[in-house]
Amino acid sequence: MHAPPAVEAVGISKTFGAVRALDGVSLEVRPGSFHAIVGENGAGKSTLAKCLLGFYHPDAGEVKLDGAVVTTTAEARCAGLGMVFQHFTLAPSLTVAENLVLARPDLPLVLNWKRERERLRSFLERAPFLVDLDTRVEYLAAGQKQKVEILKQLYLGTRVLILDEPTSVLTPSEAEEVMTVLSALVQQVSLSVLLITHKLREVMAYADQVTILRQGRWVASSATRDIDVPRIAELMIGRETPMEQITQPVVRASAPVLEIRDLLVRGDHGLPSVKHVSLTLNAGEILGIAGVSGNGQRELVQAIGGQRDIESGSITAFGVPYHASREAIRTTGLFTLPEEPLENATVPRMSVAENLALRTFDRPPLAKFGFLLERGALRRAAEEEVRHFSIRAPSIWSPIRNLSGGNVQRAVLARDLANGEAKILVVANPCFGLDFAATAFVHNQLVDLRNRGKSVLLISEDLDELLKIADRILVMSGGEIVHETMRTDLDLAVVGRYMGGH
Amino acid sequence: MQNPESLGLLGIAIALAGGAIRGSIPYIYVSLGECLTEKSGRINLGMEGILLMGAMTAFGVSDRSGSPWLGALAAAIVSGLLGLLHGALTELPGVNDIAAGIAMIIFGSGLAFFFGKQFVAPMAPQLPVFDLGASVANTALHAALRMSPLFFLGIAVALVLHYAFERTRWGLHLRAVGDAPDAAYSMGIAVRRHRIVATTIGGALAGIGGSHLTLYFPGIWSEGISGGQGLMAVALVIFARWSPLRCLAASLLFGGAQALGPSLQSAGISGFYHVFNASPYLLTLGVMIFSCSRNRTLTGIPGAIARRG
Amino acid sequence: MTSQAALSSRLEAVIIPFTAIVAALTLFGMFCAWVGASPAGVYASIYKAGFGSWYSWQNSLLRAAPLMLCGLATALPARAGIITVGNEGAFVVGGLASAAAGLATLQAPAWLCLLVMAVAGGVAGGLWIALSAGLQYYRGINAVISSLLLNYIGIALLLQLVEGPMHDPGSLNFPATYPIPESHQLGHIPGSRIHYGLVFGVIACIVSWFLLERTVWGMKVKIVGGNGRAAKLVGLPLGTLVLTASFLGGACAGLAGMVEVAAIHGRASQAISAGYGYVGILVAFLSRQSPLRILVVSVILGAVLASGGILQRDHELPDATITVFEGIAFLAILASEALSGRISFVRSVIKREARELADAKS
Repeated sequence: MHAPPAVEAVGISKTFGAVRALDGVSLEVRPGSFHAIVGENGAGKSTLAKCLLGFYHPDAGEVKLDGAVVTTTAEARCAGLGMVFQHFTLAPSLTVAENLVLARPDLPLVLNWKRERERLRSFLERAPFLVDLDTRVEYLAAGQKQKVEILKQLYLGTRVLILDEPTSVLTPSEAEEVMTVLSALVQQVSLSVLLITHKLREVMAYADQVTILRQGRWVASSATRDIDVPRIAELMIGRETPMEQITQPVVRASAPVLEIRDLLVRGDHGLPSVKHVSLTLNAGEILGIAGVSGNGQRELVQAIGGQRDIESGSITAFGVPYHASREAIRTTGLFTLPEEPLENATVPRMSVAENLALRTFDRPPLAKFGFLLERGALRRAAEEEVRHFSIRAPSIWSPIRNLSGGNVQRAVLARDLANGEAKILVVANPCFGLDFAATAFVHNQLVDLRNRGKSVLLISEDLDELLKIADRILVMSGGEIVHETMRTDLDLAVVGRYMGGH
Repeated sequence: MQNPESLGLLGIAIALAGGAIRGSIPYIYVSLGECLTEKSGRINLGMEGILLMGAMTAFGVSDRSGSPWLGALAAAIVSGLLGLLHGALTELPGVNDIAAGIAMIIFGSGLAFFFGKQFVAPMAPQLPVFDLGASVANTALHAALRMSPLFFLGIAVALVLHYAFERTRWGLHLRAVGDAPDAAYSMGIAVRRHRIVATTIGGALAGIGGSHLTLYFPGIWSEGISGGQGLMAVALVIFARWSPLRCLAASLLFGGAQALGPSLQSAGISGFYHVFNASPYLLTLGVMIFSCSRNRTLTGIPGAIARRG
Repeated sequence: MTSQAALSSRLEAVIIPFTAIVAALTLFGMFCAWVGASPAGVYASIYKAGFGSWYSWQNSLLRAAPLMLCGLATALPARAGIITVGNEGAFVVGGLASAAAGLATLQAPAWLCLLVMAVAGGVAGGLWIALSAGLQYYRGINAVISSLLLNYIGIALLLQLVEGPMHDPGSLNFPATYPIPESHQLGHIPGSRIHYGLVFGVIACIVSWFLLERTVWGMKVKIVGGNGRAAKLVGLPLGTLVLTASFLGGACAGLAGMVEVAAIHGRASQAISAGYGYVGILVAFLSRQSPLRILVVSVILGAVLASGGILQRDHELPDATITVFEGIAFLAILASEALSGRISFVRSVIKREARELADAKS
């Protein structure tokens, strides 16, 4: 079997409107190499990948495969390029077999399922992962779906596999499994891998080449043996950043403010997602819940926030049973900030000002006589919060969906923190998709809240974030709390194992 | 000659069975058409207007040309065009397919009533009938065994769709388009084309269903000829969990419900006439209350439809 | 928004419906030409029948009244996130209930009888729409389908009762209920042929606007309709809000039914199902579910409806022509909504401001 094609990007530039996504980027993926691309959000990594695949037509520069210029997706696919995206490209109600067959470009008009299954079976014998062909994709866990995605590419005969943040939905052990398999295939020179990632540990462990992009420009390329993590980080950000440690007073036992007992919550498919979870949040602490996404965290946050019904179990706040009515939310001061705030915590078409007032519009000073809206007061409150929290918006009357992700997050935080009524803040993945400045802002707000004696329940898929600011960390896996540790006593290997479900 | 009254309960049952088969035909076509449309990820609520337009076209063309089959064909073409209109309109960004469906109901019925005004003749040349019970002495049984070829054609369409969904490339692609349009798009499948084609064919099928109304039973043209059947077929598809074969079975059920009033009347049970005539609507409502539930997603629902609502 | 963007956006809000109406009239003109009538002649007739004289104006306003109320029947639930087409059903049961209530209180003074009729009509209509809304909220049943079914069920109910328990033996060929004497019917605005139903309609539109835009309740409803998840997050009682908004909308349609009985026919019969419900849906969509716009659009569409007779007489066009126009108008407004944001000068301004979005999200 001949080697995979050499992939070369020469001086690629791509502009969207007035955004310069890529500016003269050049890159070389040699046959049989494991090449990582790193960079912050917005550095242009995904855009570059899509240019290589022919999804985007570069404004300048060209893509060469084995020396020949390639311009269309068909040509790229023919030459053996394939990509595993961040979002799944599987049809949920079709089976694994149907999804694999679906991807084939040369299907006959009438499918001979016997022959197709034969082909699939023989493929699976040589394949690095095992999956059940007849399970519907919607019933697979995220890790299995990811494996099916990779299998799909291998089944199609992909020789250069581009992966966009593949391990973000995998447990540490699943990630290791996948990466090791890919590594082995690369060693056999049957595959080249182009890995887009922000996990520098992965880069050093598996890749032999790394390219760093920053704000659409190529910064550096190097063999991984000639470089180290701090240097890569420095090149990514463009300045020296020491590993941030927010020094904070160590919190000892104090009064519980939120007690969750034996909570049972069902997910969208009717199966339990939160299985008899119990936890206690104390005053003046940040309690983190670590875990790979898809293990019940989303449903837990939705249940606390009142967006999902609780089947059994109880939530008690300050000793009083808690049900998420508007009155209870206000008197208890339990505010919830779910992930993807634009979709889950705002009314996208409504203005920034109105969204900022979502918790307060029915009370004085924003409401008069208990039922009339006081628009002047609404405007003043919004202006104040925009100023205080540095929310960048064209105007307080712009629809909130026109704001960038970071500003939406600022707005939602402002809403909950502005008038000091928040006593318990439940936050999920607040820094997802945010740049360094916005992330630092959010973390400071949370730590500040904690320092004033309030409490934060921080659900995060980013272990580094929890290591930075959480006092105590729980691990959630398979809908249950499986491990608890103080940040100071934390053993990464143990936590990783629990996250993986062992 | 025996008549249904003397057969008592059996007579009612026979009349009901015959009526069920006869009444199921519009439901079969419209529900199969809607099933196909929804499998591609689109909801076409405008089926009522498309059905009416098909009915009127069939009547008109049959009347003018003398050939009922030409009428049915014309109905399929015209209704297919309306389906195409709906499909194209809903591909425009920001167009809500529920609102588009309501627009199609108004537009389709408006066109049908407008062009239908000119047809004064009470009856147009009717579609031929298979007189399967020709040798049977009992009039009731004889009547029940008179079946339209459209019934058998409808069964064939259901089987073809079932087979196509499972075993052809087109069917696999279509299901992917309806389930995960973004994924299908990234695989190079022509998402828009599949949806528009499915909606067009869906409309054409509804047109054939409409031709049955004017060219067989009740066999006349009037503005009230459908009375919501197009819409009930949409509910039927949900009840049938988007399976062509189950659509077939459910259509027979609905046809039976529709035949309830007249069957009882022919057996001499009158009174509560309007209530019995409303039984299809009540049945549909009941069916929907039974099938739907707030929290659980329905099994078999195409992903694109589940996520809209 | 910068003042430029704000201006553009507001212009867009006017331009889009305007474009839709112009496009609709153009397409309708082409349709008329195709079927052999003169488009210019048709337009002139519509104008004459709608606005040509005080007599025409009254015709238009008479038809505008039920349209305003029926438009609200779609718009109010829509603001809460429920799309329903049950206007006709609510209209009919409202008329039926008001007839029953009226006949039961004939001994009372006229004003009291009318009040009871209005309340009965409103409550019946309100419950009818609230039923569809409740089925969608609590059982996940699509409200468009359930409300359309309830339309047919409502009409069946009307026919059954009008021919059965409420039947007036004196109404020989055309089954109807006992009549409501003229003394107890809804009178006319002095100096015109227009009944007080118009006043109901105008007041309902203004009150609805006020409720939605100036009260806490309206804000809550708009949040629920804007994003149910966010509404739950801030503890709003979704079910209650959805049901009340739907009830109020249905009450408007029921009130329109009461007016039809109390002012036009004087009794309940099949005739009260005049189709205003379906046109009401169109009014609501043309007005983008906004009560004040419904007020204006109702008058325009009332004028169009009033021209049915003249079209038949002068151009030999059947009354289904109006339905064709309604269908074209509906399709036009939907297609024009797709243009929202595409009009070039608006586009460039908004695009400039949405750049941040692309920036951080890539």
